[in-house]
Amino acid sequence: MNAWLIAALALLPGLLACGLVCVLSDVLDGLVALELAGVLSTVELLLLAEGTQRQPFVDLALVLAVMSFVGSLAFARLLERRL
Amino acid sequence: MSEVLVDLLLFAGVLELLMCAAGVLVMRSAFDRLHYASASAYGALLVAVAILARESLSLIGDKALATAALLVVCGPALAHATARAGRIRARGAWDAAPGVEEHEAKQRDQR
Repeated sequence: MNAWLIAALALLPGLLACGLVCVLSDVLDGLVALELAGVLSTVELLLLAEGTQRQPFVDLALVLAVMSFVGSLAFARLLERRL
Repeated sequence: MSEVLVDLLLFAGVLELLMCAAGVLVMRSAFDRLHYASASAYGALLVAVAILARESLSLIGDKALATAALLVVCGPALAHATARAGRIRARGAWDAAPGVEEHEAKQRDQR
């Protein structure tokens, strides 16, 4: 257990907070929480990659950053139409 | 010295991300929450700089920095798109004043 893995563990309550907001709040609040969850998950993967010294995890983080941006943008566009 | 710097950057990044998560959890409106969500990209940047300080410009350091740069560049665009969606949902149009929809509905009823 090194500092990177401890940091990854410390970030988990943040993801839990995002989940709570998604479940309990309005749909727009849920979108905001989803955006934050995308950033937190990306950092989690970066920290796991560094903590375990496995380089493929960094590729996952990069792909997740792109995909969460595109996904959140699509959600935002859909919300404009009052679905 | 280098290890201290790495630990300091890592701690600052994680603390910043946790504060953003707390802000998103505590704030009441979506627009208030959006401030905290869009600031989180800088926490990711601090973590990426910590990785870069430890690994120098290796494959893992470069990709970590690219990931954080992507988050920092795309974050404001995403925040704008979200705020725009919220405004259009609330007012019916991007450039509508508050209450325009209700006013138009009243006018339709009067006719």
